Amino acid sequence: METQTYTNPAKLTGPQPEKSRLRMDKLLQDRVYSLSITIVVICIVASVVFPQNFPTFENLSQLLLNLSIDTIVAVGMMLLLISGMFDLSVGSMVAFAGGLTANLMYFHGFPVPLAITIGLLSALLVGWVNGYLIAYQGINPMIQTLAMLGILRGGALLVAGAGIQNLPYWFNAIGQSRLLGIQMPVWYMLLTVAVFSFLVNRTIFFRRYYYIGGNAKAAELSGIEVKKMKQFAFILSAVLAAVAGILLTSRLGAAMSTLGRGLELRVITAAILGGASLTGGVGKIVGALLGALFMGIVANIMIIARISGLWQEIILGLILISAVWLDLYLIRRSRA
Amino acid sequence: MHLQLAGISKFFPGVKALDNIRFDLLPGEVHAICGENGAGKSTLMNILAGNLQPDKGQILLNEQPVRIANPVHAASLGIAIVYQQLSLVDTLSVAENIFANTQPRNHWGIIDRAALLGQTRQLLENLQLQSIQPQILVGDLSQGQKQMVEVAKALSKHPAILILDEPTASITEREAGTLFAIIRQLKDSGKSVIYISHRMQEIFGIADRITVLKDGQYQGTQAIAEVTPTDLIRMMVGRDLEASDGPSAATREELLRVKDLSGNGFSQITFTLHRGEILGMAGLVGAGRTEIAQTLFGYLPRRSGEVWLKGRLLRVSHPREAIRAGLGYLPEDRKSQGLFMDKSLTDNIIAANFRAARPGNWFDSSVARELAQSYREKLRIVTPDVEQDVLHLSGGNQQKVVLARWLLADPDVLIVDEPTHGIDVGAKAEIYRLLRQLAAQGKGIILISSELPEVLALADRILVLREGTLAGELPGRGTTEEEVMALAAC
Repeated sequence: METQTYTNPAKLTGPQPEKSRLRMDKLLQDRVYSLSITIVVICIVASVVFPQNFPTFENLSQLLLNLSIDTIVAVGMMLLLISGMFDLSVGSMVAFAGGLTANLMYFHGFPVPLAITIGLLSALLVGWVNGYLIAYQGINPMIQTLAMLGILRGGALLVAGAGIQNLPYWFNAIGQSRLLGIQMPVWYMLLTVAVFSFLVNRTIFFRRYYYIGGNAKAAELSGIEVKKMKQFAFILSAVLAAVAGILLTSRLGAAMSTLGRGLELRVITAAILGGASLTGGVGKIVGALLGALFMGIVANIMIIARISGLWQEIILGLILISAVWLDLYLIRRSRA
Repeated sequence: MHLQLAGISKFFPGVKALDNIRFDLLPGEVHAICGENGAGKSTLMNILAGNLQPDKGQILLNEQPVRIANPVHAASLGIAIVYQQLSLVDTLSVAENIFANTQPRNHWGIIDRAALLGQTRQLLENLQLQSIQPQILVGDLSQGQKQMVEVAKALSKHPAILILDEPTASITEREAGTLFAIIRQLKDSGKSVIYISHRMQEIFGIADRITVLKDGQYQGTQAIAEVTPTDLIRMMVGRDLEASDGPSAATREELLRVKDLSGNGFSQITFTLHRGEILGMAGLVGAGRTEIAQTLFGYLPRRSGEVWLKGRLLRVSHPREAIRAGLGYLPEDRKSQGLFMDKSLTDNIIAANFRAARPGNWFDSSVARELAQSYREKLRIVTPDVEQDVLHLSGGNQQKVVLARWLLADPDVLIVDEPTHGIDVGAKAEIYRLLRQLAAQGKGIILISSELPEVLALADRILVLREGTLAGELPGRGTTEEEVMALAAC
């Protein structure tokens, strides 16, 4: 016989429906996939129910603008969560970096690029300290970054006081100009997500974070310098928060010490919705964007539907619990 | 109380931990249980303590069948156990540890501190442990004192049966003397003691009868007066060889030289390893073998001594540098130190050599997948999909995944730490074949194993360690298990 049918023996094991259920579960467990579908469905429903208000260019570009700052911070947070840690000081970092940059320009006449550079360098220092004390000295990340949250909020008050306005034109242009009719912060957000998505998928350096979050001991014994890598993740998280803070200050045309209040928890929520886990080892950068996008859309629809703000918080909380619960249920089922 | 076990079996995935075990404990008896590492002693104790349920067999207490559901139930039946790993909380006082969850309370339900301290003091006095203050924090005690507090905790429940698992491993001679006095006291009051130990001297000093286990099988029970230490060693190790001798690939070219190496738990270790050689490292648990391996690999700090690899002085402070220099280390505990359980086979295999999956500037997951597929074929890892999490693989296949990681990293010297622990016979044979193949390719292999037959069959030379020092070197051929055990045990 010339014609032979090759059958993979592995495919013959186990009843078929069982297999397809497992594949379905696997897809549902991939949060990038399930969240994307959910977002598409919600958008279609919202467009049908609110055809006048939801699917307009103005509404959608505003929606993206609103989540751009959170998403830039969420990218750094996602990387930390992948490696099994988190940073509570990012919200204060946003205010401090923006305030410091504005302070240097307004009170000391620093040129725009120099002021921004110093703003970013301050974040580098903060991230270095967080990372050093956590990775090398063993302070718990929760405690270290909680303390830093307070320190930086105080610092933001010092540098921004009651608020700084009348910032240089070129500085405001960074966050207020448009490209193809869409506000610049949206482009910065997309650029950050694209760059880090690529790096995390395609460079050895960033891939190591999955191993550190998966099993730090095994990672160390596989030759990964866990402490150094952890410290770098905190530096990156702080610097991205500073980028977001400077961008927000520019967009608003003013520095305020209250900027980014509560942002850290919003960002962690977005990252968890986007597939991260507090125990580490899982998550994709694009999940941070999807998580933030989902939260943004839900908030947007509730505003259009004139639902009170307090309900937004309640509903988001319920959605977060349901998402994580569903995940645990699927994992238990696949291991049973 | 009269305790009997009949036909007890316990299976773990891929391993028969206990197979049809018999055991009989009379009131007022000290009954020793011996066996090599992995003989099943701890599994048996965990069944008696209610931590594990037997898959087959019956437990009888005073001729009544019982099912020991959990540790609380075991305690209520009068069985108390002193674990090898301590169950104490460092941040609480001695008194609160001893009476954990059973603190004396007044009729308001509030803990009666005076009674707590008083009862603790009384208990410690009865045990001749007056040197330990009830209110001191357990974290401030020495290892040996902690062990004695653990014993006091077990006795605070007035058990009819006390199980001691390697109780003298971390205590001083004087404390051991106190412990034996306590055991005799219990015996005189009609209580029974199960005593697990490696140390012949202690067993012959304290036990009335002795039961030997080997590879989860019952070997026999003897009255202590009727056996000699030599008989006992033969009962513990006498078994058929699983791995047959193969041709040696050892050359005289020196690959690794270790001189006066000292570190955590070992000192003054000197040896050499040649190209194509398999060097066995034998010794009991705690002899310092793993510590030596992890120090060579840069995972644990080195205190003093020098290491040369291929004639070059090796200075490593992190596994990364060790891997670069040409060392590999397959860890003892594959679950906690070897594998990334929630990651795929592919991710696990490339963990020590990411560069292999970077054909150009960027990491390429399809290259990684192809590598994983080729190692899956080469090592016959049974899994339909290299993208599947290693969590779902059997123990033997998981171990092959860790081994594949090191094959991909291609070191000159590979240290394998208990490479066949808890895996089935078929996978064992394949791992032996791979280790021989690596040696034939001119690598140097250091084989750390508690399974003497495998060391005897594979190794060209055997280093025997005892309590952190080199007790001796034996040739791989013609050495018997008895000779190794005589060097390894005190």
